[in-house]
Amino acid sequence: MKNKQDFPNINERKPEGQKPDGSNYRVLIVDDSMFVTKQISQILTSEGFDVVGTASDGQEGYEMYKEQYPNVDLVTMDITMPRMDGVTALEKIIEFDKDAKIIMISALGKQDLVKKSLLIGAKNYIVKPLDRAKVLERILMSIK
Amino acid sequence: MRVEYINPFVEAAFNILKEVVDSDIKRGELYLKSTSQPVLGVAAIVGLAGDVEGRVLFDMNADTALGIASKMNGEDLTEFDDLAKATITELANMITAQAVTKLHELGFTFDLTPPAIFTGENMEVSDSGVEALIVPIELSYGKMEINVAVRER
Amino acid sequence: MSSEILDIQDLNLPVGSNASGYKENTEVIDYKMVTFSLGGKDYGIDIMKVKEISKAAKFTFVPNSIPFVKGVYNLRGDIISVIDLRVMFNLPIPESNSAPENMIILRLEDNVLGVIVDTIDKVVAISSLRIQPPHPLFGDINIKFIKGIVENDDKLYIIIDVESVFDQKSADAAMKKRPVHSSVKGAEAQIEAPAARVPGTAAGDIDYSFIVETLATFSKFSVSQFNEGWIKSRYSTWVQQRKSSGQSVQLKSGIDSDEFLSGFSSPYSGLFWDKDYADMITELLPETDNANYSAWDVGCGKGEEAYSLASALKKRYGSKRIKINANDRDLLSISTAPNLVFSKNTVPEIYDEYITEGKNGWHFVSLIKDLILFEYHDVTNGNQLPPVDLIIARDVISFQPRDDQQKLCDMFYEKLKPGGILIAGANELVFTEGWVPVGNGLVSAYRKN
Repeated sequence: MKNKQDFPNINERKPEGQKPDGSNYRVLIVDDSMFVTKQISQILTSEGFDVVGTASDGQEGYEMYKEQYPNVDLVTMDITMPRMDGVTALEKIIEFDKDAKIIMISALGKQDLVKKSLLIGAKNYIVKPLDRAKVLERILMSIK
Repeated sequence: MRVEYINPFVEAAFNILKEVVDSDIKRGELYLKSTSQPVLGVAAIVGLAGDVEGRVLFDMNADTALGIASKMNGEDLTEFDDLAKATITELANMITAQAVTKLHELGFTFDLTPPAIFTGENMEVSDSGVEALIVPIELSYGKMEINVAVRER
Repeated sequence: MSSEILDIQDLNLPVGSNASGYKENTEVIDYKMVTFSLGGKDYGIDIMKVKEISKAAKFTFVPNSIPFVKGVYNLRGDIISVIDLRVMFNLPIPESNSAPENMIILRLEDNVLGVIVDTIDKVVAISSLRIQPPHPLFGDINIKFIKGIVENDDKLYIIIDVESVFDQKSADAAMKKRPVHSSVKGAEAQIEAPAARVPGTAAGDIDYSFIVETLATFSKFSVSQFNEGWIKSRYSTWVQQRKSSGQSVQLKSGIDSDEFLSGFSSPYSGLFWDKDYADMITELLPETDNANYSAWDVGCGKGEEAYSLASALKKRYGSKRIKINANDRDLLSISTAPNLVFSKNTVPEIYDEYITEGKNGWHFVSLIKDLILFEYHDVTNGNQLPPVDLIIARDVISFQPRDDQQKLCDMFYEKLKPGGILIAGANELVFTEGWVPVGNGLVSAYRKN
């Protein structure tokens, strides 16, 4: 969504995607929209996050999380997806790892599902359309 | 179509398109159309369920779709590939979702079904017994027609 | 509108010479005529009466006009009547109708009209001295419409006296002797003694046809069996009114058109019904054991009709579950309806118990409001409304294109439960089988049999 020149020069300050120990936060993106996946991934990599995987439905996301455990620091989880929806995937991941940091991505005006997700254990949520500031703010709130 | 539904769709389309695509957009006169009609070449469709049934169709030609997708991705896409399709689908989703959010606030409960996208020449959409509200939008990339057909259950 | 209109000055027709066999070079050429053929014979019309010639294919058919009125034609924004001279004179008409017709547009004293002819030939210039009086045995056309005969280049031209053909004065006579449009062709038609069948003109009918056409253009009102009774009686008072005040009978603008239609609309259009009118409607509504009562308000405008109806139904069927679908195809009006506010003095007292004052003005309480679902909808697009007990569609049918009116009426029939009531406009009549008139004074109503 943003042009390259809009991104800040990351050399001028410590990128937000870096842990205090200097390594990068590792993110798994679960979204059925290639566009949204690309959008989130661009925003995060520009800040030094590592995108360690992308999944296009809840089932795949859950399986990837298990495989890579404990090497995932954060999951962005779309709510409406085919096969397995985001809320179910959230439930399964939390069941597997109660400390998982998951942030819900919602476009659907589904306050009810967002609330439900927060009750289940999602750390935060972002409502589309996504913009850089909003995404970074919510993600940093969730991991720090 | 129920009068209360009209504005949320028009406003959502206007707001989202202005925010993510084109700050210089114009809205044409709204009108009603009966159901069977040709579509322009790229049609993204989002289904509605709940208190109502229906669908919202975003209709544009391939060049317009490519222009919009390029703008949203911040890069020049040269063909209407999977990324471009996903982008238009997402745009349809965002607009419909914002309209539905507004409708929630007014006390109407709708659900969205995941969007689908169709491309091709000489397509026609027909759904029986539902007339559609047409919201014509002029963007610098071309025109888009948002075609909303919703009826009470 | 396919047309290729030339100004008569730029007319590219060859101008015939007068030199044929006549030695009189001193002869004064003082008469030019546009020549054309009709049923294989040659005719001429004084060029001074000809505004232009054109080819035209698309005429608007005018219902109930006399047969030689082909229809009306939009001449760059002016609606003109088009007369088929072949029909008027009982001459054969070529079969193929796909090709554009040749039309001569005449400018008469106070009227512009088009006449259809077989082919347009050229402009012929002659000396008026050479025009001979018509011979009584001459031919197909009543002698009184012939100005004279002239020979030129071995052709004999019959010069038509257009003023007498389309003379206002003979209009009344013509109305009485409408020609029967026969399909007779060729010789048979030639033999007919046309005098008995040819009307002088039907200026009256033409005026009427014009008005019918103009109502459609300016007010989207289509004259048809549903409203013809009112329109015809209105027409006669209109003609008297306009003539006595020295104004043209024709409708020149939307203002004229609306004035013509004033009095057509049903009582309390755009207003809340008063007690008497609400009672008249209520009286039509039968006792029913059903726990639900549903109504469809077509063309509800800003909603006054729907709120009036809702209040009347609430009083009539208080304990039933009442549901009204109200719609209009005008976006601005219908958008106002759900949140209609008004000042208290515009509302008859019978509504007092149902209205309340809000921050923007008075409005109906939700007890009434919730009975109505307002929709932006054009009935001609069809809908999936389940059958209803009552349809109120006052002055709706008349404002649909003529071809859609019966369809709409049939759709109302289909959407009514058996025994259901249709309330049409006060001046709209429904004749279709299956409808039983049940209306009274101000209400035109029909029960589905």
